[in-house]
Amino acid sequence: MKAVRLSFFQMAVAMRRDMMLYAACLTPILAGFFFRFAIPILEALLMEHFQIPEVISPYYKLIDIFFAMLSPTMFCFVSAMVSLEEADEKTAGYLFITPLGKTGYLIARFGIPASAALLVTMILLPCFKLTVFSPLSILLFVAAGTLQGVIVALLVLTLSSNRLEGMAVTKLFTLTIFGAAIPFFIKDNIQYVLFILPSFWIGKAACEDTLLYIVPALALSAVWIYFLLKWYLRKI
Amino acid sequence: MIHVSNLSFSYTKRSFISNMNFSVAEGEIFGFLGPSGAGKSTLQKILIGMLRTYQGSAVVNGIECKKRTKHFYENIGVDFEFSTMYEKLTAKENLHFFSSLYERKPRPVDELLEMVGLEHDADKRVADYSKGMKSRLNFIKALLHDPILLCLDEPMSGLDPTNSRVVKNMILEEKTKGKTILLTTHNMQDASELCDRVAFIVDGKISALDSPHNLIMSKGAATVTYTWVGEDGEHSASCPLRSLSSDERLRDLIHENRLQSIHSSEPTLNDIFVDITGRTLL
Repeated sequence: MKAVRLSFFQMAVAMRRDMMLYAACLTPILAGFFFRFAIPILEALLMEHFQIPEVISPYYKLIDIFFAMLSPTMFCFVSAMVSLEEADEKTAGYLFITPLGKTGYLIARFGIPASAALLVTMILLPCFKLTVFSPLSILLFVAAGTLQGVIVALLVLTLSSNRLEGMAVTKLFTLTIFGAAIPFFIKDNIQYVLFILPSFWIGKAACEDTLLYIVPALALSAVWIYFLLKWYLRKI
Repeated sequence: MIHVSNLSFSYTKRSFISNMNFSVAEGEIFGFLGPSGAGKSTLQKILIGMLRTYQGSAVVNGIECKKRTKHFYENIGVDFEFSTMYEKLTAKENLHFFSSLYERKPRPVDELLEMVGLEHDADKRVADYSKGMKSRLNFIKALLHDPILLCLDEPMSGLDPTNSRVVKNMILEEKTKGKTILLTTHNMQDASELCDRVAFIVDGKISALDSPHNLIMSKGAATVTYTWVGEDGEHSASCPLRSLSSDERLRDLIHENRLQSIHSSEPTLNDIFVDITGRTLL
């Protein structure tokens, strides 16, 4: 456990020396303030301008679940960037042959940050939410959002070989969280084309207010993480 | 310390390492010699538990490598040919971090840095180090937790003759402390100087295994070359060392004090490698 703890602190040191990573950790808070305070103002302005009773408010639930995915994704992005640099410098492979080992490394780089992201998002979501969530639904949506963040981080790690590529790949794969919007906008069966994305099921759970849809989201996330981890470990 | 029996490994369907057998005793410096792609690094990866899908047995310090736990690494120090340091951290920060991962009390960082002449660059970022400096830093990282087995992959690579000497002396000093050392190298001179025994590895197989001296002597090809001045200019001739006394011309030249020069030459480990394997290292 000592080696895992020290390796996690090592990542914190790397973050402290990198302003971009520092800023990424603050993004969820800034986004939270925007979602919570700017969007209702924008909605009021749009309603007045178009003289209709609602413009954005039917999609407040969607905005909330975006936040539940965005916050962990940003934390996991930071981990991915640090791991990418470690893979580049070949320190990751070296850490595997110390008492930290592969499992310890994965816990320090993904387990602890994902758990921290889960906790932070559990605190932030109730502060910045626009709609009503029960404590259970907050837990489930944030858990599914956290796994989505881990998936994005692993996609970045497996598909890029340096930080520059990593940032480009992050932009691309963060788009996968938009799978959550599909059930809100496409009502017929064609929506199931994106069933492979866990975010689609998260969106479906929010749109239809049915927490049971979180189950396929979690199961699919586990499958994605399993294969991506295998791919990543082979790469290193 | 190390027992390898019937070891085979493949990355694809084709066998990459096949049926290897050898043992390394405690306190021995054992060299793996071979051309690129021969299987040296793969063998080292198996012995340090990085590759676990092998057939046969590879036991290091009493532990089957494929069943290793994290404690396995408390006793192993690895120096790869390439840098494995955090480039943004200083040398000292790197060494302190890596040593903190082990349970064992680390060797003093300042002392190790001084031994390889990096004491004045200890607070410099590794990114600003030259190749040779990184190589020396990598080497002392393997010694930090005072392991009983050292796996060194080309530890003298990129070093100037002075620093190469320093590292070689440190390797020999570790041996006097009873450490077992696995040395992977292309450099036959380093292998001859440091290793108690060497294994020639070609195409995933051990072609020969013995002490450098025995390998050289087994060929018995030492020759004596001498020169003399005759009426029509300078001449030279050679004869095998073992039949020196039967060379009548040499006997006469010695008797008449007409020898201009005489020297013996033994084959190098490189010559023996080429002779046995039919391959060159370069």
